[in-house]
Formats: sequence, structure tokens, C-alpha cells
Amino acid sequence: MGQNDAVPFLLLIEDDDAIRTALELSLSRQGHRVVTAATGEDGLKLLREQRPDLIVLDVMLPGIDGFEVCRRIRRTDQLPIILLTARSDDIDVVVGLESGADDYVVKPVQGRVLDARIRAVLRRGERESTDSATFGALVIDRSAMTVTKNGEDLQLTPTELRLLLELSRRPGQALSRQQLLRLVWEHDYLGDSRLVDACVQRLRAKVEDVPSSPTLIRTVRGVGYRLDVPS
Amino acid sequence: MTARNDARATSRGAAGAGAGRGTGRAAGAPGGSGDPADDLAPAGPVGRPGGRAGRGGRGGLLAGIRLSSLRLRLVVVFALVALTAAVSASGIAYWLNREAVLQRTQDASLNDFRQEMQTRAAALPVRPDADELRRTAEDMANGGSGYRVLLVGEGEPGKQTIGASDADRFSLRDVPAGLRTQVDQERQVDSGNEFPYHLFWVRIEKGGTPYLVGGTRIIGGGPTGYMLKSLEQERQDLSSLGWSLGVATLLALLGSALLAQAAATTVLKPVHRLGEAARRLGEGRLDTRLRVSGTDELAELSRTFNNAAENLQKKVADMSAREESSRRFVADMSHELRTPLTALTAVTEVLEEEGESLDPMIAPAVALVVSETRRLNTLVENLMEVTRFDAGTARLVLDDVDVADQVTACIDARAWLDAVELDAERGIMARLDPRRLDVILANLIGNALKHGGSPVRVSIRTAGDELLIEVRDHGPGIPEDVLPHVFDRFYKASASRPRSEGSGLGLSIAMENALIHGGDITAANSPDGGGAVFRLRLPRDASAIAGGDGDGPGASQPDKRDKQRDKHDRRGKKGGTDGGA
Repeated sequence: MGQNDAVPFLLLIEDDDAIRTALELSLSRQGHRVVTAATGEDGLKLLREQRPDLIVLDVMLPGIDGFEVCRRIRRTDQLPIILLTARSDDIDVVVGLESGADDYVVKPVQGRVLDARIRAVLRRGERESTDSATFGALVIDRSAMTVTKNGEDLQLTPTELRLLLELSRRPGQALSRQQLLRLVWEHDYLGDSRLVDACVQRLRAKVEDVPSSPTLIRTVRGVGYRLDVPS
Repeated sequence: MTARNDARATSRGAAGAGAGRGTGRAAGAPGGSGDPADDLAPAGPVGRPGGRAGRGGRGGLLAGIRLSSLRLRLVVVFALVALTAAVSASGIAYWLNREAVLQRTQDASLNDFRQEMQTRAAALPVRPDADELRRTAEDMANGGSGYRVLLVGEGEPGKQTIGASDADRFSLRDVPAGLRTQVDQERQVDSGNEFPYHLFWVRIEKGGTPYLVGGTRIIGGGPTGYMLKSLEQERQDLSSLGWSLGVATLLALLGSALLAQAAATTVLKPVHRLGEAARRLGEGRLDTRLRVSGTDELAELSRTFNNAAENLQKKVADMSAREESSRRFVADMSHELRTPLTALTAVTEVLEEEGESLDPMIAPAVALVVSETRRLNTLVENLMEVTRFDAGTARLVLDDVDVADQVTACIDARAWLDAVELDAERGIMARLDPRRLDVILANLIGNALKHGGSPVRVSIRTAGDELLIEVRDHGPGIPEDVLPHVFDRFYKASASRPRSEGSGLGLSIAMENALIHGGDITAANSPDGGGAVFRLRLPRDASAIAGGDGDGPGASQPDKRDKQRDKHDRRGKKGGTDGGA
């Protein structure tokens, strides 16, 4: 994540030769450095060897599928993952987001759109201010881009971190899912609200004492989410 | 006839046993006034109670029974049959009884009278005086048979002397003239007729009481004797018999009504069950079966029903399997198409960007490949959307949105801001699927711009729990014959909708998207002739339709999704029929 100033280095895991070649061609033209893998196993090996900035991951893979790849990466790593999915498989999206993906694009995807998503995800890790904020046991250090809870470092993905930052910037104020999609994911008005829901779930699992009855990140019915300052 | 012959036989026997003077010739002459021409008026009481019972019984049964119902008809038919049978049986029984009773009384009285005439009246002198006649008459009357006697003799030649046992109640005036004529008439004695005089009788009614009047003449000169016997006792007996028969008829009628009820119930219960089953079958519950018991016609009917239902179920299952496989084929096909399209789409941009530096001969070809790839993309995307609706796998991803913002964003994203007038207030919040709302709006507005021309007017209103979005264009409107088909797939009215535009699925997909929200779209022409009007109606909160609220963790719980799918399956079927209408 320290290579944001350099050319983005992507790992593309896609089993279909034509799509892999075409996407590699397109992404390379958009100014990315791309390595590709045809299976999940190869992809995981390449991930360990080459340390890319971001992974573009097809869901339908022979052998271990995209979700499993995603889960295995998340066990040790917080690097951004964008899923390549088919919209017809609505459940795929939900499962993919639950397994830890940061964003998803629907096939067939235009290179330009994928590029925009990649850059948006990478931007989430960029620091923008130098202060810090405290919410009970939770300390958000905006200069170091770290979050600690009871003094322990929390491993957050860039998307989770950005979501927490956006919420912490307006404590006590409810933000709608569409607002959060624009602020965090940089999506247009048609952003998928499930991205927000899934990300909130993952974030709660990491920052809340009891994730099923959250005290920090609260759901505001009919509106969206709110970060509360503990009294 | 038998009665008269018997009477004659006894009279002969009596004559033979007589004093040898040939007195007491008495018997009914054929065709005489002795025919029991009158009536004891017995039929009335029998008929009337029956009739009353019939009417009364039917009136009671009518309560709570639908006229013209099978039950009522059965009851009426049973009652009619019972009435006919009871009335004819009672009638015959009454008639036979009446004849037997009257005949017996009559025979006894007349025989007794003849006997008395032979023993007492014949003993009178040839010219008895009134006193003798009266005494003899009294003696005869007191014989115990309970009749009164009137003796008419010739005290002096040409002069009538009358002696009565009870002159106040039986005088010669009471004897019908016809009977007197018959009695007094002397008949020629020949081989067929042994005696010049016979005994005649007739039934009369006096002061409301029936009487038997008999008369005869002593052969060889002597008084003429008449008797009057009251038949009041017999009438009373017959009358009570009539009443008994009437009551029996009434009971038979009641019994038949009850039987009819029972029969109707045994017949109608299976019929009702059959009707109920047919109704369920009609509602689409094809697994409806009847329990078959017995071997009667109704059981046969139930069996036929079961067979029909089974065949229907099999046929429907066949058809839906076939439909399912063709649907799956389309779904698989569009999936398969997507893989090459994904590769193509990824590289079209490369081609596009290089387009300007290409050979002018090649550039148009590249541009064509790029644009047609996009169109193919749209088509496949729409096709997959349709198959998702058909398969019932389409889901709502609900979010709370400001409707005016969504509409503005939709118009803005397609660079339609100049061509669309938006009439909406900000702050109308709704819980719906923003992507699907966008699809609906894009299709409706795009369609209006294509066929109606700008300006297109979009207005947003709320009515109770509903959101009403109206898209109005200023074009020529939609021809009346096309109007019912605008939401059909691939339906294009040749003149107004050129083939080159759109995929032919746009409005159909818009409709499906509205239906999955629990809303709908209607198309009409503006009544003032100002073009076509599409009205989109959506619930302001689609959570109830979606099943889950999509809020936080709930959105991804599988059970909620299943529920959502179930709901959609129903909606999808409904949508399918609507869309195809």
C-alpha cells in the first residue's frame, strides 16, 4: 500500500483466456502493471511472490472459487479486492461482499469503468488529514491511517478504514447508504447499497465489543448509518 | 249387480219359505231407482286433509331451501309420489269399505223388512183399517232393526189408508214418488220374471241425514209397506275412516319429505364435495383429489374427476417443464454469450481510442464493431434481465432514496436534462430498488423521447402509500391497436417504431421492474390529444413485497432471501401474464 504514487500493480485472476487477455490489454493501456493467473491457486501463489496493490478476481474459477480465494486472502491480508461477477447471480454479490471483497464489477465490463473502480479503491488508503479522533476505546489516527482499540492495532482494509473515517468525520450524524457510496466507493447514484451493508458488517466485527448489538456504528432505520460518541 | 242378484235370491228364498201365499216379492229391479245414486259425501274429507297436509308440509320445508335447488325438487317429487300413492290407496280403501258397509246394513235392513212384511203385513186383512195398519207398522218397527215403517192399505176400494210406526218422522211425503211408482207398478209374470211386484230401495237425504228407503207390496193384494232406515251411524263410521285415511296420507307425506331430505343429503353431499374440489382445481391446486368410496354413479363421477385432475396436473407439469427447459436454454445461452462479449467489450475501448489514427478505410469498420458490440451488450443484458424475471431469481435491493434526486440523476446521467421537464418536489422519500427505478425511468423517458419527441414531462406525486410518476410526451400518441401491446416483448408497431431502435424489451423490462416492487405501469393517450402518458405506480415502501428490509445484517440472511424469492415467484407469474396480454 505504500506504492500509491507508483504505477498501480494489479493481479488479475480470471480463467477465461479471451477475457484475461482482453482485460490485461485494456488495463495495461489504462496505465496499470498487470500480472495474471488462470486459477485461484496460481493467484494465491502469485500474491505471495509479487505483493500486488490490488486484486481483480473472477468469481467463477475452476478449483477453489473466487469467494474462497477472497476468504483466504482476508485471513492474512487487507489488500483491496475487486470481484468480477455476473449480475444475474445476485447471491454471488452478497456472498462475495461477505467474504471480504471491497467492490465488484459486473461482466461485461468496460475497461474504463474497471479502471475507475480500481483507482477509487486505491485512493481509499490515501491519507488526507493529520488529526486523530477517539470514540471510547477506539482511536482513529488519521495521520498514520491506523485504528487502535484498547491500544491494539486493528487490521482494516482500505475500504473499511475509509468508511470509518467518513463516519467519524460527522459523529452523531446519520449518513445514507447512497451518501456513503459516493464518499467511500465514489459510485454514482446507482451504487449498490449492499456494499455499504456488507462493509459495515465487517467493520462492526472488528471495532464493536459485541458486533450483533453495536454501540458505535448504529443503524438508523429509513436513513443509513451513524457513528455514535459513547457517553 | 251382485248385490241386487243376491237381494233377489234371498227374496226368492224368503218367498219359498213364506206362508205359501206368494207374498213378499221384493227385489231391486234392474235399472230402477234403487241404484245408489246419492252420495254420503265421503270423498271430501279424505281429499281435503291430504291437500292441506301437502301445502302445509311444503311451506315448512321451503324455509331455508333455495327455490329450484335439487333438494327442493327432490322433496317435491317425493311428496307428489307419496301423495299420489296415499290418495289412490286411501280412495280405493275408502270406496271398498263404503260399499261393503252400506251393502251390509242395507241387506240386513231390507231382509228384515221383507221378513216383517211376510210375517206381519201379509197377515193383515185385505182391507185393513188405519188402526190395524198403524199397529202392525209399530210391531214391525219395534222388531229391533231400527227402521220406521209405513203401511199403505186400501181400507175401502179406491181409498187409501195409511198406518205409520212414527207418523211425525216418516210419512208418505218422505217416500220419493219414483220409488212409489216402481213399487206400485205391476209387472208381467213371464219366464224371466216370476213375480208381479218387487222390493225396491233408494237412498235419500232428509234434513242432512242419509236414509235408506225401501218399499214393496204384498203379492195377491195387501198393504204396500215402506221402511225408512237412518244411515247416520254408517256415515259417521265412514267419515271417521276418511279422517283416518287422511291422517295416514298426511303422515306418508311427511315421511316422504323426510326421506327426500335424507336422499337429497346423500346425493348432495358428494355433489357438494365435487363442486368444492372443482373450485379448488380451478384455483390452480392441481393436486386436488376426491376420496372415492363405493361403486355408485357418484363414485364413478369422482373417479372421472380424479382422472381428469391427474391428467391436467401431468399436462401442466409437462408444459411447465418444457417452458422451464426453454427458459433455461435462453438463460444459459445469454450466459454463454456473455463470456465472449466480456472480452470484446474490454478491447472495444482500445479500438475506439485508436480509431482516429486508423486508416480511413478501416476506421468505419472499427466504429461499427464498437457500436454493434455495445448494442449486443445491451441486448444480452436485457435478455438476461428478462430470464431472471421469468425464472423468479430477480431480487430487490432496497434503499431509502429521495425520488426527485434519483429521477434527476437518471436524466442527468443520460444527458437528457435539456429535453425533460421535471415537476417534482425534493424530499419525497421512498424505499425501493434504485437501480430498478433507474431502469424503469430510463426506459419510459427514453421511449417518450424516441417516439414522442421533446419536451418530455415527468411529474412525481404521492398518493397515500403510493408513489405516482407520470411520463408524458408531446408526440402523436400511441395508436389504439398498439396500446394493449406496448409492454409486450419484441412488439413493435411497424410504422411508429422502427426496427433499428431499442432492443424491443425495454418497456417489458420496465413493467417487470414495476411489478417486482408491487407496482405497475399503465399506458394511455392524453385525453386532450397531447401525446402518450405512461403512469408508474410504486409503493413508497417496497419492504413488504421484498420480504426483508434489507437493513444491515438482515439483507443477507438466506431465509429472508428465500422468502423474497417466493414472493417474487408469484409476482413473476403475475407479471408474465400481464406482460403477455
